[in-house]
Formats: sequence, C-alpha cells, structure tokens
Amino acid sequence: MVDEGTRKTLSSIPLLKTKAGPRDKELWPTRLKEEYQALIKYVQNNKEADNDWFRLESDKTGTKWFGKCWYVHNLLKYEFDLEFDIPVTYPTTAPELALPSLDGKTAKMYRGGKICLTDHFKPLWARNVPKFGIAHAMALGLGPWLAVEVPELIERGVVKYQEKSDEAK
Amino acid sequence: MAPSTDWDEIKRLAADFQKAQLSSTAQRLSERNCIEIVSKLIELKLIDVIFTTDGKEYLTPQQLVREIKDELYVRGGRVNTVDLAKELNVDLNQINMNISEIIKGKEVQLVSGYLIAHYYLEKIAREINEKLQLQGQISVGDLTLQYDLPADLLQHGVLERYMGKIIRAKQDPSDPRIFYTEEYIMRTKAKIRGALMGLLKPTPVSLIISHCNIAERLFMYLFDQLNAPGVLTGRQSGAQYVPSCYTKSQNEWVINFYKQNNYLEYDALTRLGISDPKGYVKRVLANEDMNFLSSCVIGSQINQQLETALEECISSKSYLDVLSLLPSVLSDEDIDNLLEPLLKKNSRQTILFDKTVFSNNFIENLKQACMPITQKNAEAVVKSGKYQQFYLEKQLAKSDGQQMVQVDHKAERREERRKKASSGKGGGGTQGRETKTKAVKKHLRSKQVTHDSDTDDASSIAKKAPSNLEIICIEDVENCIKEQLENEGLDDLLTQISEYLQGHLNQTALTIAKELAEKLLQDANQNRKQTHSSAQDRINVLVNDIKLYEKGLKLFPSDQQPQFVKYLLKSFGGDILSEFCKYAANQCNLSVQVDILSVEQRNKIINDLSEEYKKPLKNLNSTISEQNMEQFYQAVDICLTECGMILKKVDKKKDKLLVQNHREKLIYELENCEEPALILHLVVLALFTILNQNMLHASGRQVPIIITFLKSQLKEEHFEQLQKYHELVTKYLTAQEDEKGAIEEKLKEDMSLMKNIVIEVKKY
Repeated sequence: MVDEGTRKTLSSIPLLKTKAGPRDKELWPTRLKEEYQALIKYVQNNKEADNDWFRLESDKTGTKWFGKCWYVHNLLKYEFDLEFDIPVTYPTTAPELALPSLDGKTAKMYRGGKICLTDHFKPLWARNVPKFGIAHAMALGLGPWLAVEVPELIERGVVKYQEKSDEAK
Repeated sequence: MAPSTDWDEIKRLAADFQKAQLSSTAQRLSERNCIEIVSKLIELKLIDVIFTTDGKEYLTPQQLVREIKDELYVRGGRVNTVDLAKELNVDLNQINMNISEIIKGKEVQLVSGYLIAHYYLEKIAREINEKLQLQGQISVGDLTLQYDLPADLLQHGVLERYMGKIIRAKQDPSDPRIFYTEEYIMRTKAKIRGALMGLLKPTPVSLIISHCNIAERLFMYLFDQLNAPGVLTGRQSGAQYVPSCYTKSQNEWVINFYKQNNYLEYDALTRLGISDPKGYVKRVLANEDMNFLSSCVIGSQINQQLETALEECISSKSYLDVLSLLPSVLSDEDIDNLLEPLLKKNSRQTILFDKTVFSNNFIENLKQACMPITQKNAEAVVKSGKYQQFYLEKQLAKSDGQQMVQVDHKAERREERRKKASSGKGGGGTQGRETKTKAVKKHLRSKQVTHDSDTDDASSIAKKAPSNLEIICIEDVENCIKEQLENEGLDDLLTQISEYLQGHLNQTALTIAKELAEKLLQDANQNRKQTHSSAQDRINVLVNDIKLYEKGLKLFPSDQQPQFVKYLLKSFGGDILSEFCKYAANQCNLSVQVDILSVEQRNKIINDLSEEYKKPLKNLNSTISEQNMEQFYQAVDICLTECGMILKKVDKKKDKLLVQNHREKLIYELENCEEPALILHLVVLALFTILNQNMLHASGRQVPIIITFLKSQLKEEHFEQLQKYHELVTKYLTAQEDEKGAIEEKLKEDMSLMKNIVIEVKKY
C-alpha cells in the first residue's frame, strides 16, 4: 500500500492523541500543539535524512496552513506553493492539500488544485483517527503524490524549471 | 487562562517549527554532496587527500605516514604492508607510495613486504644471542624459518652486524651461515676426541657423526684440530675413520697370513675393510713375487709346489688332484689360469679333467682296458651291417650335398666323351668307353661297396662326423674303467673321462670297423668271383652236355628228333637258364633262396632283373620252348657275353671220357635201382649209350622209340626180353590197384634179367 520509505518515515512521526477539531474550543489548542510537535519532529527527521522538502506555516488559529513544497528532479529544484484548510470535521476528515499553481495541469487533481490522494490514503487515515495529523497527511499524501506527478509533469513540459527558485545554495 | 497559555504555547511551537525548518536547511549538507564536493576539489587539485578503503574517510598523506609509523612502533618494529593496509583502512597502493617517505630515514627498511625498524633487528639479535647461548650453535637457515626473514638480512643485517656486540659467537669458517659459541666448539671437540679414541675398527664417519649428534661439516672442520689417532679415508660423507691401531693390526694379519699360507684372498681382505685388495697387497708385500688371480693372490711358493707335483705325476704315470695342492679359496677360473702355463709346458704328457691332471700314460692304461670291448663292439657293428648302413647313409648324404657338384661333374664328363668321340678315335675307343661307363653305372646301381676308393671316401666322412655312429657308448667305457677309477677314488670324474675316452675309442672302433668291413668286402668280392667262375663252369658243363646229347639224338630218324630236342631243351636248357638266373640275380642283389628253380621262380627273377640281364635272359627263356637248337645256342651266347663268361672249347677226348662216365653212372644207378619202370628207362639209356657210344637224354615216354631203335643192334633174345619187360611195365603202369601186386612180382623176377642184358651187351 505504501512504499517502504514512506512507512519508515511515517513510523518516526509521533502519533497524536487528542481527538479535537477547530470547533472544539477546549481541546483544539492541545490538538494543535500535538500537530506542531509532530511537524517539528517530522521536519527534524527530514533534515537529518537530508530530505527536507517543504516549508509550512499556519495562521493564528491553526486552521489555515500555507507554505511551499519542492521536488528535486535531475539536480533541479521545482518549487510549488502549498495551502490547505483544516476541515471542521477534522481530524475525522483528512485535510485537503492543494497546489494551486498546478491547477488544471494534471488529471490527478481536483478543482482548485486539491490533489487526488490514492485509494489507500483515505481508509488508512480513517483507521488512524485521531492518531494521524498534518505531518502524516504531508508524508503520506503529498510526498508520494509529488514523487509520482512532478517528474511526469516535467517530462510533459507542463512544469518548467524557474531560475528564480534557486534561493537554496 | 488555560487557553491563552495554550495559545502562547502554540505560538512558541509555531515559532519553533519555523526555526526548525529554517535553521536546519541552512546547515545541513548531505553526504553525497560532501563526496561530490571533495571529489571536485581533488579533481581541481585543490586538496591532496587519500580515501580510506570504505570511502568514508579522507586522510592526508602526512597523516598516513604518521599512522604507519605509529603502527610500526605498536607492533614492535616490524609490520607487513598488507597488514598495514588492512589496519589503517587504506589502499595498499597508497601505503606503498608513502612507504618511500618512511624508508628515507634509514631507520626503517622494507624487506619483502615487511617494514622493519632498526630496533626490531636489535631485538632479534638479542633473541638470537639467547638462543645461541642455549643451543651452542645456530644456523641462518633455522633463523630464516623462525623469523620469516630473508637469510641475507639475517646474515648481514643482524648476525654479522651485532657479532661481538650483542651476539657472542664465532662464525663457522667453512660455512658463514653457521655460528657457534666458543663453549660449544670445545664441547664438540671433546666429544669427537672421545669417540675417535674409543674406536678400534674402521667406522663410517656418518656413524660417528650420528652418534655424537654433530654436523658433518663441523666434524670435518674439527677433525683437523684434534690430532686423532687415525686417518679419514676421505672428506666426503661416505668416508671412513680408520684408527691407526686397526691399520697396524691389519697389516700384521695380512703379512702373517701370507707368510703362513702363501696366499691371500681378496674377499678376506675386503672383510678386513681393505677396499682395494690388489693395490693393498702390492703395497704391503712389495718385495714378494706374487701371482694376482681373480679372487686371490698367490705366492710363488705354491706355483713351485704345483710344478714339482706335476713333474712327479708325469714321471710316476699317475694323476694329480690339483685341488688338494691349492688353497681352497681359488675359483675354478683361477685354477685354470694357474694350470694353463704349467700344462702348456707339459701338454704332451698331461690331460686335464675338471681339476685333476692326468698323465697321458694313466689315460692310456685306461684306454687299453677298454680295447677289448671296443674290438668286440666294432666287430659286432660290422657283422650286424650297421656300419655299412651308416657308411651308405653317409655317402647318400654326401651325394645329396654335392649333387650340384656331381651334376657339373657329369656334364664335364659328358663333354669329355663328346670330345673324344668327335676326335674320332675309332670303334675301339667307343667300345672301351662303353665298358667304362658301364662299370661306373654298375657301382652306382648295385649300391654295394666294392671299391677301395669308395671306402676311403667313407672313412673321411666318418672322420668328419665321428659321432654319427656310436660304436662304443659311454656306458661301456664307464663300466670298463669304473673299477679302476674307484680304486683311485676318482669316480666323480668317471663321466668326464669316459666321455673323453669314448671319443677316442669310438675313433679307434671306427677304424677297426672300417678295416673289418674292408676285409669283409674283399672276402665278398672273392666270393663273387668264385660264383662267377663256378657259374661259368656249370654253364659250360651243361652246354657241353647238351651238345653231347644232341649228338646222340641225331642218331634217331629226323622225324623222331624233335621230341628229344624238346625234352632236352626243357630239362638242360632250363638248367642253363636257371644258372644264368641265379648268377644275374646275384649280380642284381636279388636274393635266391632255393638251389633249384621252378619255371615260375625263373620267370619272376627274370622280371626283377635289371635291364641289361632281362632282355637276353628272356630271349633264352623263349628259345627253350622253341625246339630249335641253333636259336638256343645263339641265345646262350648272348647271355654269356652279357655275363662276361666264355664258352670253353670242347675237347673231343674229353667228350669220350664224358660219355664213358655217363655210361658208368647209368650202370651204377641201374645196379642200385629197384623200381621196375626206372630200371627199364635206365636199361634202355644204358644200352643206347653202350651201343652207340653216344649219350642220350630222354624221358620215359620216349622209351618205346628207343627200344625200336635198338632192335637192330641187340640180339634177338635181349630184344625180346626188353620188349616183354616193357610190355609188363606198361601194363603195370596202367593196371588197376589189385592187379599191380602180381605184375610187380613178375617185374621183380625180370629185374635181374634186365640188368644182365646191360652187362652182357657191355661185353660185346
């Protein structure tokens, strides 16, 4: 269902405990804290594995998230804007990750740039409520999607390398 | 409150999150990037580093050199480059490249893959010294094995370098690779000296060495310094140590033995440990006169002894057993060699059998003892015809072998003959030749040994192969001389002597046999001649008789003559023919058993005869039944010439005498005769002979004719008596059995009457 690398990454992300959505005034901050901790851990892990591939930040309430994600193909870094909202039914419903810059460029995408996740993702997520969080959605959803779609997009010439994005060394 | 703190906390976490995201990205450089960077730098020659074998670390060469040095020190001054490569996790090539840096300093050297520091060598030297003090000696070879270092390094780099400083030892002068301590050498010397002192007999050096447990080389080296009481036979490993006391006693023994026995056996000398007996003897007994044989040396004394004994043996006509005079160790070959020159001097008078010398006289005596049996056997052989047979076979074999030659011979002869013929010498010559050829033919055909020249041939052949006919066999000889030899105790030589004698005796026997055979042949020849003349005589008599009888029968009327002629030829002619047959058969080697031949026998013989006789005799045979006297005489003539006979002239006076004899014979027979018919026959014949002075040959059947013929000459009464008697006889002969008696009676009465008639008529 998921490849070995993903599974490993996944297992190193701490699981969440609190089941609370943005509407739960009491518990949401707790949940959010856990989300942040998981994310920090995930990012740290990624850095250690020299596998840093996104920047993410949220609004104050922690319901709206935005940032960048990139994919290195043939020593060239392709960078895409990333945004998503925490649904009200969260964490029962997984967040819908969107790459607006790629809207309409690939079939694996809903309107507005929301990526089509694999068939496995949803049941996996459902099984793991409330243990999975944003970090898991990133690792399990966006990561594999990028790995599959970006090279294809580049190949099709839909996505072009842009000079400006080389702010990394 | 709680929510606000929560939110603060969230804010802080968010900040932390951002910090985490940002800070790490700035610092983190992935491993592969690092590798890429370094390789790029190396490529650009900006840095000089060395990879470790796993590729995870880099070293500078200086670091490597330091590490190698450290490693070397840690390992006590000796390290293998390969081990280094493993230990330092650096490629061997890199190490090798950097080793030159280390070696530069002279303190460290690279020896067959090992880095060796000077302090390591010092350490080894100390170890070696310890070991040397313990063992007394040490060889570079052992050390090489022990330290796994090249001998050269150990030799020069360690032993020689530290000799006298660290190592207290001496180098073996003959082998620089071996080192001894002074004490060891002293000890070994003492050991060897003790061993050599103790030895009494020659000992292989190898044995001494193994006993003393020292090196051969050392032994040889030290031996010279020892002043040992003896000598070494050589410097090789197979050498022997010969103590001088042993040499001395050896010499003494040899000289004494020779003085006592006057000979020396090589084997004995070899047993004493003398490797070159001949040379040794020559050296030790230099002033002796000696005879070197294959197995021993013999002094002149023995030779002289032998010589004297031999002379004595010859003069005493006996024998000499050489073995009893010579040392028993001499081989047969040696004895032969020794005897040869002696016997050569006396070869006329001696014979050697095995190892016993016989004087010829002795042998001659033995031979004489065998002569009787030789003579006997020779006679027996000749008598039994074996010799002749052997001789014939010999001749046949010879003629087979020389067939070619003979053919040539014949051809030559033929050629000669033709030449003679063409030269036209005349009829006489031809005849002469014919007789000659005939003679040759006869001898070849007859297969009889008649000529002396032939016998000579045979004897020469017999000489060539005397063994072909064994007249006297070895057993005979043995039996003859056995007793004599046994008395002398020489029976073991019996067979040899017998063989020798047998050869000679057989020769003698052959000669005797030859003589005997020749004698026999001469006798036979004489016999033959006699048969020839007697046959001739008999034939002469017979022919003469026939002529006389013919004369008698001519008195009869011519119509009656044929009967008489027929009978005459049948009887006397037959006799003549028989006579010829017998003679011819004899000539042709046909045996004739009976004296009187029947017609069938005659015919058979004639058929068996050789061609030259067959024809005339057949002719004669046919004339016998022809009733023609002339033809008969002619046939007889031919036969006579064929048989080489002549008809003697007839003496008229003798004829009369013959007639008279015949008459007397008839009368004598008559007087003694009792048979009536025969009496008549005889009376008639006698009367005819008396009255006509001629002989008559007639059968009983012709009696009546003769009686009628006599009628005119007889008195009446005599004639009548004769007639009557004749009738009676006729009657008697034809009468039945029962009447015969009576007639016989009558005839007997008249018998005397008949005899009287003859007497009376004689008185006319």
